[in-house]
Amino acid sequence: MSVLEIDGLRTFIRQRTGVVRAVDGVSFAIEPGETVGLVGESGCGKTMTGLSIMGLLPSRGFIADGAIRFGGRDLATLNEPAMRKVRGNEIGIVFQDPMTSLNPTMTIGHQIAEVVSEHRGVSKDDAMARAEEVLALVGMPRPAERLGYYPHQLSGGLRQRVMIGIALACEPKLLIADEPTTALDVTIQDQILALLDELKDRLGMAVLLITHDMGVIAGRADRVLVMYAGKVVERAATGQLFHRTRHPYTAALLASIPRLDQPVTQQLYTIPGLPPDLAHPPAGCRFAPRCRFATKECDGSEPPLGGPDPAHPYACFHPIGPDSALARAEVTERHGGRDGSATSGDLLVLDHIVKEFAVTRGALLRRAAGTVKAVSDVTLTIRRGETLGLVGESGCGKTTIGRMIVALERPTSGRVLFEGQEIGRLAGTRLRQVRKDLQIMFQDPYASLDPRMRVGSILREPLQIQGFGSAAEQRAHVADLLREVGLSPRSTELYPHEFSGGQRQRIGLARALALSPKLIVADEPVSALDVSIRSQILNLMRRLQAAHRLTYVMISHDLSVIRYLADQVGVMYLGKLVEVGSSADVYERPAHPYTLGLLNTIPVPDPEVERAKRGIAVVGELPSAMEPPSGCRFRTRCPLAQDVCAAEEPPLRSFSGEHKAACHFPLQTVSEVPAP
Amino acid sequence: MTDIAAQPRPGTPEGGEAIRQDAGWRMIVRAFTQNKLALAGLILVVAVALFCFVGPLFWHTNQVNTNILLVNERPSAKHPLGTDDLGYDVLGRLMAGGQSSLEVGLAVALAATAIGVLYGVISGFFGGLADTVLMRFVDIILAIPVVYLFIDLATEFKPTLLLLIAVLSLLSWLGPARLVRGETLSLRVREYVEAVRTMGGRSGRIIFRHLVPNTVGTIVVNATFQVADAISILAVLSYFGFSLPPPTATWGGMLENGVNFLYDGYWWEIYPACLMIVLTVVAFNFIGDGLRDSLDVRLQRR
Amino acid sequence: MIGYIIRRIGQAVIVIAGVTIIVFILRHLLPGSIARAIIGLRATPQQVATFNRVNGLDRSLPLQYVTFLNQLLHGNLGYSFKQNMSVDAIVVHDLPNDLLLVGASLVLALLIAIPVGIVQAVRRNKLVDYAATGISFVLYSMPAYLLGLLLIAFFAVNLRVLPAEAPQQPTIGGVLSDPAGLVLPVATLTLITVALFSRYMRSSAIDSLTQDYIRTARAKGLRQSAILYRHLLRNSLIPVATLVGISMPGILTFGLIVEQLFNFPGIGLAYFNAAVDGDYPVVFGVTVLVAAVTVLGNLIADVAYALLDPRVRYD
Repeated sequence: MSVLEIDGLRTFIRQRTGVVRAVDGVSFAIEPGETVGLVGESGCGKTMTGLSIMGLLPSRGFIADGAIRFGGRDLATLNEPAMRKVRGNEIGIVFQDPMTSLNPTMTIGHQIAEVVSEHRGVSKDDAMARAEEVLALVGMPRPAERLGYYPHQLSGGLRQRVMIGIALACEPKLLIADEPTTALDVTIQDQILALLDELKDRLGMAVLLITHDMGVIAGRADRVLVMYAGKVVERAATGQLFHRTRHPYTAALLASIPRLDQPVTQQLYTIPGLPPDLAHPPAGCRFAPRCRFATKECDGSEPPLGGPDPAHPYACFHPIGPDSALARAEVTERHGGRDGSATSGDLLVLDHIVKEFAVTRGALLRRAAGTVKAVSDVTLTIRRGETLGLVGESGCGKTTIGRMIVALERPTSGRVLFEGQEIGRLAGTRLRQVRKDLQIMFQDPYASLDPRMRVGSILREPLQIQGFGSAAEQRAHVADLLREVGLSPRSTELYPHEFSGGQRQRIGLARALALSPKLIVADEPVSALDVSIRSQILNLMRRLQAAHRLTYVMISHDLSVIRYLADQVGVMYLGKLVEVGSSADVYERPAHPYTLGLLNTIPVPDPEVERAKRGIAVVGELPSAMEPPSGCRFRTRCPLAQDVCAAEEPPLRSFSGEHKAACHFPLQTVSEVPAP
Repeated sequence: MTDIAAQPRPGTPEGGEAIRQDAGWRMIVRAFTQNKLALAGLILVVAVALFCFVGPLFWHTNQVNTNILLVNERPSAKHPLGTDDLGYDVLGRLMAGGQSSLEVGLAVALAATAIGVLYGVISGFFGGLADTVLMRFVDIILAIPVVYLFIDLATEFKPTLLLLIAVLSLLSWLGPARLVRGETLSLRVREYVEAVRTMGGRSGRIIFRHLVPNTVGTIVVNATFQVADAISILAVLSYFGFSLPPPTATWGGMLENGVNFLYDGYWWEIYPACLMIVLTVVAFNFIGDGLRDSLDVRLQRR
Repeated sequence: MIGYIIRRIGQAVIVIAGVTIIVFILRHLLPGSIARAIIGLRATPQQVATFNRVNGLDRSLPLQYVTFLNQLLHGNLGYSFKQNMSVDAIVVHDLPNDLLLVGASLVLALLIAIPVGIVQAVRRNKLVDYAATGISFVLYSMPAYLLGLLLIAFFAVNLRVLPAEAPQQPTIGGVLSDPAGLVLPVATLTLITVALFSRYMRSSAIDSLTQDYIRTARAKGLRQSAILYRHLLRNSLIPVATLVGISMPGILTFGLIVEQLFNFPGIGLAYFNAAVDGDYPVVFGVTVLVAAVTVLGNLIADVAYALLDPRVRYD
């Protein structure tokens, strides 16, 4: 007997311009004790499906058709009072962002006790006692003490544990987890996912895991449903989905994700174009406009969900057969340094740079109450034509370093040397001259372009500031830039809001390229984009690097993205550079326990690899950047920590070649040659 | 073995075509016109403006010379809204009063907004000590009950039109200043502003090409409310005697006069002016609200 | 939190100091000299000189300011020659009445505006919302005295159920013993204040309603009343504190208008009469007082804000 059975669900959203068919005929079942993964990109309808189950649709949304059978009732037609008894009681839900999902004015104890009081009718004291139990259950340290805490006093990972606690307090039969870890750091993500697994077993629940991350699905789901444009396109047991992919979209998606275990010379697969407009869906297969296999039949009629194996249905007229595969072009262009070819010298040197931000507090005179030690004594060298990848979790200082390189911040001490010149000392015209060689591409495609300016003006602005040519020459240059980044030159007349996120990142890249810089800092260039669009941008960046002999500083928390582009990799933790070396060194022979932990926690879209990883690699929470731990900053979370780690800060020690790491107990053997 | 290389459909750039919505302002106009209250406000304002400025072309009355023979007459065919205690035709006086009220209201809104925006943008952009000092100054002026002081001034003299506008503007610029400062503070750290710095752009360019244009929405909404507030304050000040000297007509002055006859039942000397004030102020408030909602729509569409 | 409060007190002190400077400057910008204004236009030069000497008006400006400040710090707001009383005496006499008027109106206004705002947010764009918005718009758009006049015209003149004038008893006890006379003044000020608040309350409540934690509350299966009370109300109250602070100047100004209209024996009326009479010590003394009250009101509002918002309380 299934826990949940969805039959032909259609959820629509009324909008001024029409009705958006967000969920258009979805059917599946969840059996007790299993984790079902619902995967797809933004706009595919996965979140709407989850909200439909809970009856939490936005005011303009409504269930147009279908049944949601749960515990002998049809939730789609249930009245509100009866639905209220189900919510929080028989079905629990965990949302993506724990900071905004918790009431800032109520203690976490009360927020958990509230659910218990509502559904179990117990006294206040009993409810609070149960809240304490729940906190312990979700792994909150010192639960009794934490009952009286407010959400803002806890870190992101702990807050999400509270959310999980709220969802589980009444021991529901089904838990819906909607992107539960997307807003969290990678090492915390791993902890939370493990917690969900453990609780599922302990409480005998079923879990519906909604996410866009194929790696998470590979590791945690028993069965998977892939959604695209409101429909289910493929459904299978996890192993089957990854190894015997049938639907072209699923295959394309898997092929477009950079993986830690694939050769770097292999180019990422890209899915061209954009998902369809769900207010006016196409008549035929919704993926056809972007599909390589599409034929007239696909454009004409919608393929039904079916196939020879009832446990592995797919909706496609031309599924990928067991023998075919998506071959990918080998990268023929060389971007300097990748294959070891000679590069002409050091372009940028970071020499013992330190950046501290004062935190002001207190009386009239604004005494500094402390400092955030964002970057603490980092030294790096970047060679011309290569790509440096800076990787680490939130608060590690990588973004601050990026900003110091393009002179948006000045180092508190130390020097940033560009072509031998210390840019921290420059000002006025000298600085302006140097600026054209150092450009940046920002993370947020929605905030990095002035919404009031046309694209043409946005791209001409750097040229105008730097006095590049006449107006006609500037316009010609802009047209060239647009063509290079894969956008139509007619885009100059349009405004940023008329473009998608991926297209805006292209515009951002064009802007960074406008002054023909020598170095571009790319700060999380693809993190805000959908998975299938990421590969478009990454491939574009790679192409441009070869064409213009660019040097990149690539900042990301995503190790697999870094690996795809970087020659040299620097791993940062809480302001310190804990490991640096060539890509091969860091990924294949990590020396620092943190690096190993990061490599282990990153979800890989391969079920076997994922399930082979057991045990948490990195425990605990990130310490405060204002009071970092003494000695080695990583020691509070390191499985190898000993007394000396608290007493003494480990120096950067050399391993082979340029590979260095700062650890008292490194995982590789220290070379005889002392570090320079 | 099928082999697929990346081949986009010919003619389409790899990034795809733009989603192609509308130019921002078109969305705002559409959202605005769909807001019934806002539309009603706009129509009302236009109607009032026509009444005040075009009306006298059709309805000639003498608003300069008093006429003792015609005082306090009830409404009749000759004087549809009667006459007041100085013999002026009330209907005609409403039109004349409206002219001065609207003129003053618009002038004050423009002046106050201009001053306030400049002040706020500078304070917000440069931050630090300059910001602290400038904002403390605003706080000080806000704390002083200036209306109290005006009442005092009213007992001294009657102002000219220009002085009245100046005084009201000095009262009103504080609102936009604070608002714009807040907006500037939050816009200052946006990535597109930082991008201009990385290109070597100077502060002036950032302020005038990027910050001010992006606060235009808030400024326009606020300016609309300023007009409404100015007309309202003008009426209050007139009541306390601080208004344009006779024979200039103002709605507030008509009210001040008419109130003396409350107990005599000369309703036509009170309620018409009252109605005009309320209608006009309400209309501008509806427009301002409508504009604000339309702007939110624009911001939400991504 | 302590740091926040200390910082706010510091700012308040600076603002009040600034106010005193400005008032001081204004005093000396008076058309005609202070002496003439107080003694009369027919004062002889000797009388003016004597007056100036006696009152320290012949010394240098900065020195005069210091004296002025010193006086203020000792609670001396000046001396009214026309009424032959110190300004403090006048103020102290009328203060309780003002506290009654403004206090009662403020409390009533909050009791009305907050629930109405929440109802408007919950039933957004329905009839209730439109009606409430419409009414508050009209109230907001009316010049303050207009509302009072209309209420007088209706209740006092036409229906004759309430007196048009506020109680004139000299003590607060006396004032309270005539509740009928208090109804219209308090009602007028309350309605004006409600109009001031309601626009902000509505948008604040709508903002709060769209927050994620409301969705979480629904996901818990809570009853609507529990959601509104425990989740929405508490979060909507936080900006109310700031709102009251910002509205202080407006409320005090409207208070003056109401007092004048209903002949309410408060500081506003005293000020008005003094202004008409040309009694400058009262005029400036009360100005400084009202400014100080405004700043104090803001300060209290900010402290309330700090107490209500746990994010500031536990910093």
